Amino acid sequence: MGDTGAEEVLRAPHALDYTYTRSVGPVIGAFLTGLRQGRILGATGAGGVVTVPPTEYDPQTGERSGELVEVGPAGVVSTWAWTDHPSADQPLDRPFAWALVTLDGATTGLLHVVDAGSSDAMSSGMRVRAKFVPEADRRGHLRDIECFVPEASS
Amino acid sequence: MGERCAVIGVGQTKHAAKREDVSIAGLVREAAERALEDAELSWADIDAVVIGKAPDMFEGVMMPELYLAPALGAVGKPMVRVHTAGSVGGSTAIVAAHLVTSGLHRRVLTVAFEKQSDSDAMWALSVPQPFSAPLLAGAGGYFAPIIRAYMRRSGAPDHIGILVAVKDRKQALKNPYAHLHMEDISFETVRDSIMLWDPIRYLETCPSSDGAAAMVLADETAAAASPRPPAWVHGMAMRSEPTMFAGRDQVNPKAGRDCAADVYAQAGITDPRGEIDVAEVYVPFSWYEPMWLENLGFAPEGEGWKLTDSGATALDGGDIPWNCSGGVLSSNPIGASGMLRFLEVAMQVRGQAGEHQVDGVRRALGHAYGGGSQFFSMWVLGDDKP
Repeated sequence: MGDTGAEEVLRAPHALDYTYTRSVGPVIGAFLTGLRQGRILGATGAGGVVTVPPTEYDPQTGERSGELVEVGPAGVVSTWAWTDHPSADQPLDRPFAWALVTLDGATTGLLHVVDAGSSDAMSSGMRVRAKFVPEADRRGHLRDIECFVPEASS
Repeated sequence: MGERCAVIGVGQTKHAAKREDVSIAGLVREAAERALEDAELSWADIDAVVIGKAPDMFEGVMMPELYLAPALGAVGKPMVRVHTAGSVGGSTAIVAAHLVTSGLHRRVLTVAFEKQSDSDAMWALSVPQPFSAPLLAGAGGYFAPIIRAYMRRSGAPDHIGILVAVKDRKQALKNPYAHLHMEDISFETVRDSIMLWDPIRYLETCPSSDGAAAMVLADETAAAASPRPPAWVHGMAMRSEPTMFAGRDQVNPKAGRDCAADVYAQAGITDPRGEIDVAEVYVPFSWYEPMWLENLGFAPEGEGWKLTDSGATALDGGDIPWNCSGGVLSSNPIGASGMLRFLEVAMQVRGQAGEHQVDGVRRALGHAYGGGSQFFSMWVLGDDKP
């Protein structure tokens, strides 16, 4: 060991940089394509369930999901949580609500954000409407929906 | 072994470089539905699901079995995930079979998959580490020196690997599900392909595939009710050893020899070459055929290459045909590759292998290995009850 001091312990960064591709298949693929067109699609399942975002196989029965149907673009907030100080990589740069939105025609909630200005404007049961980003900026992504806004003010 | 267990349904995808038309869920569903169709069963008839794949890092989906449960009709049923690197397809089938032999379940669906187009598994295997030269060698770089050691030890001539590569690709032409269908494959095309990791040439390596495999395993009562002939499990075993330890023989790993000895003892086999009619053995690099011929007891140590050289392992005229389906050299959806070996021998025993069927198969060996030749799984199937 000799005079080798503990301060000489070697360190090096280990950055793991790895690129994945995702083949989304016919159902999620149609959902993402729909968003690019300004439409929100859900999957029909057993017992009249309409799942949004759509799943390829019914989460309850495992059966292949039925036809895709357009839902929304408005719906009802079932539950929400207010964010006073958004961090840099969150969807909006101003205070907003994370919310589960049950779109008209859907039976499950879609997690998204509501731009309501103040938590005083939020309530479970309130109606909101999807606001899409400009068509030229859409890329087949959940954030093609910029946010939801209270229906009265839209 | 407890209760008897048989394969009563098989299904696989058409293996391809990129299945961009389906998600991972769609891919496994395709194989599983075909296995159910073959068994003439519905999802409701299945008691439990056992699924396997290689490292989650390959597709970047952690614990994919959780999200695949609805696609495999497993909601509300026992579901188990198995992971033993490249041998996982075999290990998965064995874990599923144990659920039957233990008497726990009557019909078990087992599935394995890989969607290599979602990533690049070759390079995922050689991530650069601090203070080490970046090898970027992949699996081939790992196995090349081991193959070189085999060649030196056995005195095998250079052309043996080429023979295996040509044989398995020709056999793949008879298998509609194989990824590679190389009509113009020849000794010269393999010999003249680029040397990737000496002594492994490009055409002596497996492809990178998307694919899935599935089987329905059943107990004696369920097998009796099955519409097609069952393939009975006569023996099955798994063994593993560390990647590195002093005195390890990487050319002829002890875990492989022990695994084979266990399976043969269960199946009452004392002369593998004489008593086994056909084998599907995990050969991702051509030279692993002669090496495994020795490890699995089909030839004395140092003489496996002579069997390959004589044509003994060919579907056309050989007395112990290996990899009639084209093997891993023709289709490599990593996680599914081991299960394809297990599934292909079930097809041979059940007489449903079509153009690559060997006449009169009564007993067949399925084999898989993984990691640094350290995980092994094998089973022997027969057309009669054990």
